[in-house]
Amino acid sequence: MKTLILKELRENVKLAVLGLGILALILALNAQKYSTILKNLGGISESQQMYLPWQPLVSSDILIGLFCAIFGAVLGWFQIHNESHRDLWAFLIHRPITRTGIFFGKVIAGLMLYVLATGLPLIGFIAWTLVPGHVAAPFQWAMLRPTAIIVLSGTLYYFAGMLTGLRQARWYASRALGVGVALFVSLMFQSEWHLWQALFFILIGGIILATAVWGGFHSHGYYRGQPAPGRLALTGALMPGWGFVLALTAILLVELLLRSPYSQTQYQMTKDGAIYKVTQGDGDQSNIVDLQGKPLVDSKTGRRIGTADFNRRVCTLGKIKPDFSGRAHRGRWFERDCNRFTFWRATPDTLWYYWGQYGRLVGYDIATRRFIGSLGPDGFAQTMSGDGSRFRFGDDRNGFAPASRRIINTADMVYALDLERRATKAIYSITNDSEAATPSAITNMPNETIGGIGEVSLNGNDWDYTIVVTRGYIRLLTPDGKVLWRAAYKPGYPDYNWIQVAFLNSSNQFALWLSPSWYAQGKAGGKLPTQVVWLDREQGVLKSIDLPELFHNGREFAREQKLISLSISPALMMMIPLINEQPQLEDIPWVLVRNSLAAALVCLPIGWWLGLRYSLSLPAQLGWAAFYLVFGIPGLLTFLSVQEWPARESCPNCRKLRVVDRDQCEHCGADFAPPEKNGTEIFELLVAVK
Amino acid sequence: MNEQSVICTRGLTRYFGNKPAVYDLNLEVPRGCVFGFVGRNGSGKTTTIRMLLGLLQPTRGTGSVLGYDIRDLPPEARARIGYLTEEHLLYGWMSVGECGEFQSRFYPRWNEKIFRGVIGHFNLKPAARVKDLSRGERAGLCLGLTLAPEPELLVLDDPALGLDPVAHRSLIESMIYLTRRSDRTIFFSSHQLADVERVADYIAILDRSVLRACCSLETFRNSVQQVRLRFPGAPPPVSNIPGLLQAFRAKGELRLTCVHYGAATEQALRALSPAQMEMVPISLEDAFISYLGERGEKSFILSETEAQP
Repeated sequence: MKTLILKELRENVKLAVLGLGILALILALNAQKYSTILKNLGGISESQQMYLPWQPLVSSDILIGLFCAIFGAVLGWFQIHNESHRDLWAFLIHRPITRTGIFFGKVIAGLMLYVLATGLPLIGFIAWTLVPGHVAAPFQWAMLRPTAIIVLSGTLYYFAGMLTGLRQARWYASRALGVGVALFVSLMFQSEWHLWQALFFILIGGIILATAVWGGFHSHGYYRGQPAPGRLALTGALMPGWGFVLALTAILLVELLLRSPYSQTQYQMTKDGAIYKVTQGDGDQSNIVDLQGKPLVDSKTGRRIGTADFNRRVCTLGKIKPDFSGRAHRGRWFERDCNRFTFWRATPDTLWYYWGQYGRLVGYDIATRRFIGSLGPDGFAQTMSGDGSRFRFGDDRNGFAPASRRIINTADMVYALDLERRATKAIYSITNDSEAATPSAITNMPNETIGGIGEVSLNGNDWDYTIVVTRGYIRLLTPDGKVLWRAAYKPGYPDYNWIQVAFLNSSNQFALWLSPSWYAQGKAGGKLPTQVVWLDREQGVLKSIDLPELFHNGREFAREQKLISLSISPALMMMIPLINEQPQLEDIPWVLVRNSLAAALVCLPIGWWLGLRYSLSLPAQLGWAAFYLVFGIPGLLTFLSVQEWPARESCPNCRKLRVVDRDQCEHCGADFAPPEKNGTEIFELLVAVK
Repeated sequence: MNEQSVICTRGLTRYFGNKPAVYDLNLEVPRGCVFGFVGRNGSGKTTTIRMLLGLLQPTRGTGSVLGYDIRDLPPEARARIGYLTEEHLLYGWMSVGECGEFQSRFYPRWNEKIFRGVIGHFNLKPAARVKDLSRGERAGLCLGLTLAPEPELLVLDDPALGLDPVAHRSLIESMIYLTRRSDRTIFFSSHQLADVERVADYIAILDRSVLRACCSLETFRNSVQQVRLRFPGAPPPVSNIPGLLQAFRAKGELRLTCVHYGAATEQALRALSPAQMEMVPISLEDAFISYLGERGEKSFILSETEAQP
């Protein structure tokens, strides 16, 4: 096998060097881009700065992922393609070594080259990142986990490439269907919550694809003649590919033929405190009606108000999505690792990040790209951890930038940040909430902690108000920490986790919007209302109203979704809850599963008839029937793409069509007739030559 | 299976789509012989060889090579079988010497002297790259790689295909002088009937996927005969002649090639009332061509034209 490994290494090393060069170039361009960003930081707006690739190592993941997938697939395919001519293939196969040995020889060499091409540039890039003075951003090894997983997942594409090169199939394009497994695993990364889940999916996908390739070596790429594990794996390897093809086709058809016109309705509040239903369609103009359905008209002209005019009347909103989970990080492990630090703000000469590991803002000098110190509740320190005191910046991002840049909080205090002077100042404490609350109300709530804060600017620049949310109350503060009002947070967390404060014309009047979380709304079937409370700073609650949900339809699925579900395997439908952090049986979309199962049931008789045409044995028929039930239409197409279409000819005995790969007719048991003699045959008994 | 048989097949059949490439092949190749496997293009020779070596799954039927089931030839069986493919393809980036080194690592019985001898016979330099070799040189290198492991069974798939006359002669000489050993069986397919005549002890003829002949060369030569019938006028139409392979019609003459010429054939020919009937010597190549060619009567166009009033 060593000889074979050496031969494979030498044969494909050029490709690996090419890959290495490409990846090195990608990473070098990323480093270059990073330097350009730092040089031109002054010209980039604060809102855009949030989304810049502050740590080039983790921000290269998409490009690295693309490279690994393409390079892995090409390498695997080339390793087979090099010997795809039947005579060269025979030269390889016809040698005193088992097929398993040949398989391992190729795979070991291929994986070594893959590691070489991807590993060397990455190690170089990591080393570059680690040298102080190169990257002005935090680094910790755990940040590399997503990259490691992405590189590891490239091996799936490698096996898929091999399978594509190896497979003999009458539907030519179906040779590449093995890529579906790799794609499926890559897509699962987007919703996996834990590292072990990613590793588990890679392992399972790898075993399926590698076994399919191994089986292919035994049968020269045909399904027929493979050992049973190879046939099983090949079937499993092609099925997800069909799933993708079908789902994409269904989505395309639905988009082209069946798509309903776009329309979305939402509530909006104007500065006078009135609520309107605004329906945005495909056109520029929205349909604006009040809660009774009466169109909003201009009192002077009597004409309907246009969208632009209406937008000028809409009030300013302060938005908070509190998080009392107590977890330092939330979100997918993938995202979580990338966001182990959050870019906070840039001053003319420094960059500041909130780093969850230390619970502090850490600063870097832009010119030297070196660490300068950290800011905590205790103030500035020249070390990462300072005196150990931490802020409590729960990852309230959830895909958004932090709601605040000027303030930050601990569990019970709100601090104003002065990054230019590298200082913090306590502006509010919930334990000293004397302005608007009785001390007893606070002490009655032992779990009272700050779950979210937000700064509000009425003109887009200044800091006019601060919103502080605890489990019990929502407070509105002035920038210096004076409580203007306090309202009960009810209905509360976690079902209602979307808080908006509307600032009305009168500086004393506000409206508080409490909206349910998407998850709670889904569980409630879209029946949870949004609660709106009108508040006056002097008079307290003026009135309140419950608004029915407009957008979330609970467990109702659109016609398009139902149609697409027909093309997806019932088993995959059942796996949908796995994308949640805590999978629950009730999250299974049974309506869609039912549709998918109905399609599978239609496949059953078709598949059974096909099985008869192939003259499958009863156990094989039953096995395939179970397969159709579990995997639906993709399952049926998988059957057709793995099996060669059976040649049949008329049985001279019973005259029925019979398959040609049996020695006896499956109908009457007759043997095949020998070739018809034409009288020119010359046969004699041959003897060994001495 | 006969214990003396190196290759044995029973009902070996392979379909490509709905078309049989090899149909119900029953073949026994005795040990120690040179066995020529002959047939026209597309008759199923290469398919048969690929099935015998486990490189293609038979649609049905069974077979064994050196006593091993062809569906699952173990490495020890492959070590005893040398296989030379028809296109002589090798890794272009390797040198001649590297090819030998690569191959030698897999074969415990690798004989470097034989390898050196064969590549020397073809004037190949060990440092030469395979991609720079001519087709004939590549064939020589392949032969060296196939012979050096000292295989018990040598399977050669049309080894002279596409070679120029010099390379062809060189390869055939190698086959005759280097490969022939009493304990070695050589199974080769060929289009070159002269090669078959020179080296084969036995032949098998595939005609449109079906085995039509399997016998010694001598038996084949004796079984195919040509007879010339002269007629005073235009020869009568030829029909129902037992064993008729081909009939050529010329002016006042019919030349018939028949197999299994016997009393029944002679009686049928006499029924045509020829003025004269004589046996004509036929070369083995002509016999092959008649055997493999289209059955029935053929006319020379000129004769037909002349026959017109």
